[in-house]
Amino acid sequence: MKKLFQPFAIISKQTFLIMVVSQVILALLLWHISSDGLMPQPGKVLAALAHLSTTKVLIDNVLTSLALTVQAMLYAIVITLIIAYLSVLPFFKGIALFIVKCRYLTLAGLIFVFTLLTQNGSALKLWLLICGIVPFFVTSFLSVIIHIPQQEYDLCKTLGYNRWRILYEVIIIGKADKVLEILQHNFAISWLMITMVEGLSMSEGGIGALLIKYNKYNDLTNVLALQLLIFLLGLFFDYLLATIRSWLFPYTRSQKTS
Amino acid sequence: MQYTKEEVLLQAEHINLTYGERPILRDINFAVRNIVRPGMSQGQVVSLLGRSGIGKTQLFRLMAGLQQPTSGSITIFGNKKVEAGDMGVVFQHYYLFEWKTIYQSLQMAVRQNPALKGNEKEAIEKWANAFEITDSLHKYPQQLSGGQRQRASIMQQLLKGSAFLLFDEPFSGLDICVLDKVVDMLLQVSVSDELKTLIIVSHDIETSVAISDTVFILGKEEGQPGATVKQEIDLLERGLAWQKDVRREKAFADTLDEIKAGL
Repeated sequence: MKKLFQPFAIISKQTFLIMVVSQVILALLLWHISSDGLMPQPGKVLAALAHLSTTKVLIDNVLTSLALTVQAMLYAIVITLIIAYLSVLPFFKGIALFIVKCRYLTLAGLIFVFTLLTQNGSALKLWLLICGIVPFFVTSFLSVIIHIPQQEYDLCKTLGYNRWRILYEVIIIGKADKVLEILQHNFAISWLMITMVEGLSMSEGGIGALLIKYNKYNDLTNVLALQLLIFLLGLFFDYLLATIRSWLFPYTRSQKTS
Repeated sequence: MQYTKEEVLLQAEHINLTYGERPILRDINFAVRNIVRPGMSQGQVVSLLGRSGIGKTQLFRLMAGLQQPTSGSITIFGNKKVEAGDMGVVFQHYYLFEWKTIYQSLQMAVRQNPALKGNEKEAIEKWANAFEITDSLHKYPQQLSGGQRQRASIMQQLLKGSAFLLFDEPFSGLDICVLDKVVDMLLQVSVSDELKTLIIVSHDIETSVAISDTVFILGKEEGQPGATVKQEIDLLERGLAWQKDVRREKAFADTLDEIKAGL
């Protein structure tokens, strides 16, 4: 018990699990006790989620959101990789650094510009999402490139490789696993943005549109149920991406065996 | 012990390296000659010794062609200026690509060696057997012990086929058992080809002297900025090269004292 409050103390997996479960139960209990008439109790939220899960509305909207997220993530990662790989060429370095700074641009002020540039609501949502994600992806990938140890480049040079081959071996092949790691770490950002962009073109639905609809009618129970679902889906994709990464790049899970 | 010193294999002439206004290396000159022993294929083992922080790593990078000197030149085989890729380089801590299996890393090297074209697989198998890492060929570096990494790293550079092999602090942080193995391995490599030349940059005086035929001492001269080669010790002349039990010789202990005094 004392260990739990000691800095850097190592606890067993079982202890950690028991601790987490206890904390979740405690949080739910506090939520249950502190809920008044306005704030729905956890039981009600869970019941609402169970009910929503059986409806076609929720499934359709979740699928719409997932399709949009996956599509945007794929486009974003392709754009990111092109920008990141080109960033080692001095000509493109400035462009890459500018995109990194674009994290500070708020999308809300650019909606009209995007509306002019895109043909329909669907394209508007997609490109808003892509442009929202890319600066974060590029930031993460450039950080990976910057932190490549000099020895990786030196080893290639000693093998007599030219600059293009070094780019291929060290960055494209050597850091391929990092692409999935970045996807995993930044999935939360795109998942966060989807609720915002779906509010812009509600006709196509989506979990964000559904959330806005329930919010409009002050249906807090269903709003919280949807929030819970968004959270759980996020956790699922986090796990899925980690598993794919470990499967595709076995050296990321290698342990010293001898 | 019969031997002759023949042609110059590597020559460093008037090497200077300056960072801004700060001289790191000053007027470095030395040459490595081909040592010929009748009836056997004898390579060269040269050590560059110096205190920590004196500029050994900078000289190592210059010799590896990874960095250019401010002035001066390093040439091999007469008149070829050293470029990255000309030498086999074994880095401190025996760096290997973490995303490649040992076999893939060795393949990268062997494909750069025109002499092994068409026999890449056989060459890898032969050396893996000699270095006792056959069972680890399909493992990733993280799965290997320190000793296995060392062997894989040395093998990678050997398969590349360069006559010159540069080692940066190869004895650093090794326990005594592993150290003996590394020494044996280096000696094994040194006799693998007549022109094979091992250049060891180290601050471990005793181990370096025990396996070398020539020692260059890198140090600072009084009143002069930057490090230079202060002394060349020909261990062949002193009868201290190619002897397994050289550490028991009095001349060996005297040489160590002389080097320590000169650092």
